[in-house]
Formats: sequence, structure tokens, C-alpha cells
Amino acid sequence: MRSGPIATICCFILNVVLFAQATELNVTSSSINDHDTNPSLELLVDTDDKTNSITSNDIEDVRVDDINERENFNVITINDDIQYPFNEKLLIRPLPNNNLLASFAFEMESETFIPGHDESRSDQYRHFTVFPKAIEAMLGSTSTRQLHLRFTRGFWDAESWGRLPHDGFKSGGSGVELWAIIEAGSQKEAFDQWKTLANSLSGLFCASINFIESSRTTYPVKSFQPKSTEEGLPIFGGDETKNNKLYLLRASLANEPICTENLTPLLKLLPTRGKSGISSLLDGHKVFDSMWHSLSIDVTTHCDFNTQTCKYDMDAEVDMVIHVPYTLARNEHPIPRPTPNSELRCDLTKPYDIYQCFPLPESNSLSFEVSEIFGKPIRGSNLISNNPSKVCVDIGDNHENNSWEALLKVNGSHFGTDDNCFDLENKDDYDIYISSSNTNEIGRHSEKEEDVPLYVSRSLTGYGQDRGGLRTVFTNPTNDTIRAVYFESLPWFMRLYLSTMKLESDAAGAGLDLHDVITSVHYVTAIDHKRPTHLEYTIEIPAGTSLAITCQFDKALLQFAEYPPDANHGFEIESAVVTILKPWSYQIRTSTLLLSLSTPDFSMPYNVIIITSTVLGLIYGSLYNLLVKKLVTIEEADEIASQVGLKSLITRLKKKFI
Amino acid sequence: MGALNKESYVVLGCIGIRLFVSLLFPSLQHQLDQAVEFSTPMTSFKSLYEGIYLLKNHIQVYDGGVVHHPVLLVWFFSQIPSEFLIDLLYAFIDGIIGYQLIQITKYLRKCTIPCWVVGAVYALNPLVLLSCVSRSSIIFTNLFISSALLYVLQGNILITAACIAIAGYLSVYPTLLLIPLLNMVRTTNRKVLTLVISLLTWQILLLLSYNVNGHDWNFLSATYGELITFGKVFPNLGLWWYFFVEMFDAFIPFFKAVFNLFLFSFIIPLTLRFHKQSLYAFVLCIGWIVLMKPYPTLGDSGFFLSFIPFFSPVFGYLRYPIFSSLLLLHGILLSPIFYHLWIDLGSGNSNFFYAISLVYALGLASILADLTWALLRYEYDDGKPNYKTKLTQI
Repeated sequence: MRSGPIATICCFILNVVLFAQATELNVTSSSINDHDTNPSLELLVDTDDKTNSITSNDIEDVRVDDINERENFNVITINDDIQYPFNEKLLIRPLPNNNLLASFAFEMESETFIPGHDESRSDQYRHFTVFPKAIEAMLGSTSTRQLHLRFTRGFWDAESWGRLPHDGFKSGGSGVELWAIIEAGSQKEAFDQWKTLANSLSGLFCASINFIESSRTTYPVKSFQPKSTEEGLPIFGGDETKNNKLYLLRASLANEPICTENLTPLLKLLPTRGKSGISSLLDGHKVFDSMWHSLSIDVTTHCDFNTQTCKYDMDAEVDMVIHVPYTLARNEHPIPRPTPNSELRCDLTKPYDIYQCFPLPESNSLSFEVSEIFGKPIRGSNLISNNPSKVCVDIGDNHENNSWEALLKVNGSHFGTDDNCFDLENKDDYDIYISSSNTNEIGRHSEKEEDVPLYVSRSLTGYGQDRGGLRTVFTNPTNDTIRAVYFESLPWFMRLYLSTMKLESDAAGAGLDLHDVITSVHYVTAIDHKRPTHLEYTIEIPAGTSLAITCQFDKALLQFAEYPPDANHGFEIESAVVTILKPWSYQIRTSTLLLSLSTPDFSMPYNVIIITSTVLGLIYGSLYNLLVKKLVTIEEADEIASQVGLKSLITRLKKKFI
Repeated sequence: MGALNKESYVVLGCIGIRLFVSLLFPSLQHQLDQAVEFSTPMTSFKSLYEGIYLLKNHIQVYDGGVVHHPVLLVWFFSQIPSEFLIDLLYAFIDGIIGYQLIQITKYLRKCTIPCWVVGAVYALNPLVLLSCVSRSSIIFTNLFISSALLYVLQGNILITAACIAIAGYLSVYPTLLLIPLLNMVRTTNRKVLTLVISLLTWQILLLLSYNVNGHDWNFLSATYGELITFGKVFPNLGLWWYFFVEMFDAFIPFFKAVFNLFLFSFIIPLTLRFHKQSLYAFVLCIGWIVLMKPYPTLGDSGFFLSFIPFFSPVFGYLRYPIFSSLLLLHGILLSPIFYHLWIDLGSGNSNFFYAISLVYALGLASILADLTWALLRYEYDDGKPNYKTKLTQI
């Protein structure tokens, strides 16, 4: 909330900068722009010509303007094998209650580079193709080996929708979440790099990531670990005197609003710039008008130890859950209005009259085109890699009883495939037609895949503004014992008392003790203004059991300037992250919490300073007088008073003159 | 013999009442430990218990912002195996303080009341009783202050010096009481000896803490640093908290220094002015610290008020005893209500509680000023009370 205006301003500036970059530096987009604005360029559909145009642009990008090079470029264009490491895929999956999950995935790789090479030297150059230059520069300057950024908003209804896309590893908690693996000589150095990284990302993505500071940063020890299957992350090191290590840092901003400002920069990072391929569907108005949406970016470094070269891998994902009838209704009437009488769906089995009736449940037959959902069709394939853009509709196998149907619509004709996956090969406008006669039946390839291994919900307990409790409920619906790591990072003004941690369980888990379920705890206490509470524990939840872990905390009183402008709104507490290790890996985040702190009277600073000082002065003055002054009888005092002071002066004057 | 019996009854009664209340109302401890009047981040049992928990689980106790209790206290409590023993310990300590107060009374030449009454006042003082039941760690500081006072009267300067050093180790500000205490020691040699011994004890305690805390000095900033710099802004009955909540950032360090100086400012003047009535100077200094300390509780003021029977010879000189006691009573009774209105119901704001903390401070201050006046008046009459003389100060 605090960061709103700053983010907006930064976004505005950044959009201008990005626009400038897009037109000036990377010509790929402008070439595709040309395709869009000038549809008569039929030739460009040809693969050779496409390669031609892109390659020439890339050579310009490296700024080689030698004529000999120009001649060489003609040779290059003939080469048919050039392809850029870029892949994109759209997965559409119906969810219960007429919801639809649309999952956009983009993968790209950078050119190889030799680690530890000083790129600032004049004879060095870097060649960029599909991998965004901005990201690579940022990773290089901050020695970041892995970068993970999440923008998520909304509530994933696990009980109805099932598992999160990508098993939850590509979606964050509500707000912004960032974690990175940074190579540095010490933790302090790593933190400095992290600050730089956060500030750069803040500029790039128009978000308030620059508010990440030490009081929000944790160093996870069990969660967020890089996957063990990877060959291990490289340490570039430099010289041997430096004892570099890899540091994992993580922070989250729960109250960050996610909007178009964040999507636009993401699209600008793609080689297609949202102008062709599946990314042409992504429009801020539609993405953020959804029930749940998540943008994610993951960059990892891969090194070939034989050739001593490395390259970056970047995955960008945009996932969203759309309520189809709602979106279709918005298309018809952008401004909501009451349903006309003729369109009301009344339940005539219940009492009704001409003014009111009980509504029927939503219709369970549905037919729509993807262009109706996103406002525009897919503008051709991505035109940049030899892998065509792919669209898959996950509606199970095509058999007679399947109530779902998915067809590709191109140039007015419809096509179907066996697996409901479509490769978009050329530059036509594509659309997907999806229909169902019974949306309650959702075909799946396998039922097992859809089981959610664990439900986690977290809530605040207590009523006062000076203390409260945290209660996390774990429900294991499966027949296996679940082993998971619970990660929680709480702001310093929640003073957690770990000694109050208690376990409550349902009948199935009766007799369990805290030590039976929590096997290991990593706990770092908060330091005021400097460090958050960092709690991680491994928990084992027996099959079919529901457990609740409670913990008490005190709420601190802040100094009046530390409160945000809307102090009584409360403070957003970031989601807890549960990473399931066994029986399969999965990640869930709880919803965020709203913590209300007691507030001082914000209009009082001067009054308080004045009143307290007065009381102190009063106390000091009276005691000082008592200790310092001499004790005399009233008569003596009168006598002394008559000899000194104004009164005596007047009497003496009177005596003299009268 | 009869008097002795009465004294032992009082001490036993003191222990008995505390045990009885603790055992009969087991949830009372928890309730009182949450009340701002009886617990502060520096003295609350909840925070002490967290320290014990962290210590037992081998987590750095002072590398964070939750535990502010001295190292040895946390260590000592981690050695106590059961809850009942803790209750017993607290009751027993309060009994000892009551006993010591009785013993101190015996050294007063002009005391007009029987000794056991002082003990009974302490035993029945609801502020002390509830503070004891809340398991506030302030009781340990109080114990060592009263021991220091008793032993200095007995002339045992070794124990006196050690006790005041321990009290200072437990919560910094009692160190200031060394000044009126030195005034009570007769010869200069003994004064120097007391000073040296207490410094030495203090050093030893710190070194012991350093060892117990795994060879780390971080406990210094977590305990004393936080106390002196008022690091934890929590509402309490003192004058500090709201002032620093509302203070502008740039001036906070300056005013923290000023408040500390203010706390120190009256210790020497009180000692000097009443150097002949050194015991009373000591008690007035306790009162001044209770009034001005950053994290006061009702346990502190209850302890101070327990010394008031010592002033029985000068009761006749008090100018406004009714006004002072009503002011204090007003503050004590309304503070939980106003706090509840602010924090739980939301129908009042922070100014309610702030106002009541001011009333409480004024009540304590008026008691202090009145006692000072009465002592001065007594001094003027030189032991022959003449209540009819009208005196004034110039």
C-alpha cells in the first residue's frame, strides 16, 4: 500500500525506457511489428525469409557495420539450421464450476559465455538472441546464479480445483515473492548483492521489490533448495584467495498489488514481445480480471564443465484461472448491469413472482472460443524458433462419451487432433474452440495426478491488539504419511514465543505429541527493525489426520512514524510455504494474514511531548524546591519578605515620602 | 516471645497466601503476566520462559529481540524442574523480603509501630501479592535491594556490596542505590571497600554470564542495552513509552539520554539532603527510581510502598496523604480498565491509558514530595513534634 505511488511512477518511467529499448536495441520486435502492421508482406511467412530478417537484425544488434560482414550475412541467411532456443506452450484445462485454467509457458536460453570473463573490456562482446539482455546484465552484476520471482494474487481453491499448476513450484504467495542464489564471499556481501538485485528487479518489473530489506529477508535452510537432480550450481569464484560460497536469500512482499504494470515488462522480456505466438493472447485487462493469477520467472545457470562455458535458462510462466461465464458476460456488457428479465434463470420449483425468484445453478453446457476469453486470437506462431507454438487442451481422451470437445480454428475452418494438442505452424490467426455438454464431468488422463496431498490453512487467533496466536491446520486427505517442510517468515513486530508452540489433533491423530510430528526445527528469532522471525520445521502428518499447530505472539507498538498511512487497515503477513517432500514433491502456500496492531493517537505528538514534559517539570520542580529551600516559620518568612522584594520597596518608599 | 511468634506468623502467612493464591487460581499467573501493570518485556515470566526454552533447545538466547532477562536468571530457572517449585520459590522469596522488612524495622530507633505490622503490610499488600503471583522477575531485584539494606544496617558490608551488585546485575538501575547505601556505611575505608566489593561482584557476575552464554557478550545489549535505551516500546505505567512513541525520530537518542540523566539527577541530592537520616534517603531513592524507570510495574511501587510504615514517626507532618493515596488508587484501579478500552474493545484510544499513567506518576510523585516534606519538617522540629508551627520554604 505504501509503495503504490512509487511503483506507479517507477512504472511510468520504466515503460518509457522499455519502449525505447524495444525500439532501439533489439530489433526482433520491430521486425515482427512490421509483420503485424503490414500484412501484405506475404514473403515473410516463408521460413527462410524469417530467418533472414531475424539474423540480419541480430547482426545489427552487435553493431557490425563492415561491408564484408554484410556480404557474410547473405551467406548466413541461406543457412536453414539456425534456430533460437525458444519454446512456448499454452495449456488450457477446464476446472470444476465452469472455471478454466490457462497456463502459458515460455522457455528460453542464453548464448554460452565463459564465466569470470571481464565483459567490460573493449575487445569483449556479448551476443544476445532470445534471452533478455536486461536479465543477463542483472545476473552478471550481482553474481546471481538462480533467480526466482513470483507475482501472485487470488485464492487457489485447492479443494475444488485440485493441484496447483506445476505442482505449486511456479506460483508464489499472494503478493511478490523473490528468492535467489547469490555467489559471494560473505553473507554481508551476499546481502548487498541481493539489495542491488532487488532494486534492479524493482525497476524492471515496476513493483515495490526495492522495499525488500534486511527486516524482510531470510536465509532458508530447508525450503527453496535447488533441486538435487541438478549437477550443482557453479561457483565462478574468480581467484583462489576469495572463498566464495552460494547464499540462498528470500523475501516476500505480501501487500503488493499485482497488475498490468508487472505483466507488460514480463512480455517485453519475451523475444515475441507479446506480438506473436501465444503471448499475443496476454492482455492485462483479461489476465488480472481472473479468479487467481500468477506470473513467474525462473532463471538458472547451467555450466558445461568440459568446455568451461555456461548459459542461462529462463522459464517464464503466466497462469490464471478464469470463470468462463463471468468473462463471457463481461464481453457482452463491459459495465455490469442487471440481467434482463428474459435471460433470468429461475428455479421454477421454488416460490417466485414477477419481481424475484430463486436462481438456478449455472448452466453446465458451455461453448466458447479462446478469443472470447482473451479478447483476441493467437497471432500466428512465435516465428522465432523452429519449435512451433503449441496449444494443448487438457480434456482427457477423445472418446464418444467425452462431453468435452476442443478444435483449432484457422481461416474459418475447424480441425481436431487425437491428443487435443495443436502446433501453430505459421502466421495465420488461430483460435481454439472449446465446448462441453456437461462441465461437471472433467476428463483427466489420470485421477491420481489430481490428488492434493495436503491442505494447509493458517489463521490468527485472539482478539486484543497487544497479543495473538497463529494457528496452522494441516489436513492430510491421502493414505500416505506426508513429510513436509513448513517455512514461515514473520515480521519483527510479531514477537513469537516458540515455547508456546502446541499441537492439537483430531480423533485420528489423538495421542500425538509435538515431538512426534515435528522432527527438526530451525528457528532464528527476530531483531527489532533488522531481522524477521524465521521458522522452518519438518513435519510428518499421518494418513487421514488433521493437525493444528498453534503458537502465541506479542504485538509490538511502533513509533508513530513507522505506521503506514492507513495504520488501522493492519499489516499483511506473508504466506507460509509448505514444501512436501514425501510421497511426492509439491508446494503449497497459505493465504496471507491481516494483523492489526495497536496504534497511538497520530494527532498527538506535540501534545504528548508537552504534557509529559510538564509533568516531569512539575515533579522536578516540587522536589527541587523541597530539597534546596530553607525551612522557616511563616512569621520569619513574612519578616524576610518585608525586607526584600517589591512590597518592601514600596513600603520603604512610602515611609520616605509620606 | 509473643512478638516473635507474631513475626513468624506474618512470614509464614505471607508465604501461605502466595502459595494459596497460585495454587487455587492457576490461570491467574497467566492473566497477570499479560497485564501491562505487572509485566514488562524486561520482567515478564513468559519471556523468561521463552529464554529457558531457547536455552534448553540450544538456540542462541540473546541473538534476537524476545528475551531480555539476565543470563544467570535464565540459567537458574532452567535448572528448576517443576512448576510447583517455581511457585514455591516465588512465595518463599516474598516471605524472605517480608522477614527482612521486619528485621529492618528493628533498627529504627523511633519507630512507633510494632515490627510485625511492617511485615503484615508487605504480606497483605495486593500489589506485591499479585506481582509475586504473576512471577514477575522484579521480585529478585527487590529481594537483593532489601537484603542490601538489612545487611548494611547490621554492618555486614561484604554481603551488602554483593547484594546491591546482584540487584544492579538483575536490572541496572538499582546500581544507583549504591550511592545512598555508601552514605549508610560509616568510615571512608569501609565505603571504599563496599564500592570495590560491589564492583568486583558485578564483574564476576558478568564474566559468569559470559561463560554461561557460550562466550558471547551479546547478552549485554539484549539486556542492559535494551533497558537503558528503552529498546522495546511497550505500553506500561511509566512516563517513557508514549513520549517515545510520539517523539520525532531525530530527537529520540537525545531524549533517551535526558530521561536517563533525569533518573540519575535526584539520587545524589536526596542522599546529601538526608545524609543524617540515611535509611530514609535510601527509601526515597527507591521511590524516585520506581517513578522514573523506563519499565515500571506495580510490583516496583508495591515494594516502595511497603517501606512507608517506616515513616510512621513523621506521619503527622504529611500535608496531603488523602490526596496522594486517592491519586495513586485512581491510577491503579483505572489503568486496567482504560487499557482494556484501548486494546481490546477499541472504544478508547491510547490517550486513555496515557492519561492514567500520568495520574499514576503524579500520585507517586506526590507521595514522594509529601514524605520529603514530612522528613524536612521532622528535622526542623528536631525530634520534638510540634504540629502547630506553620512552616514555609524560602
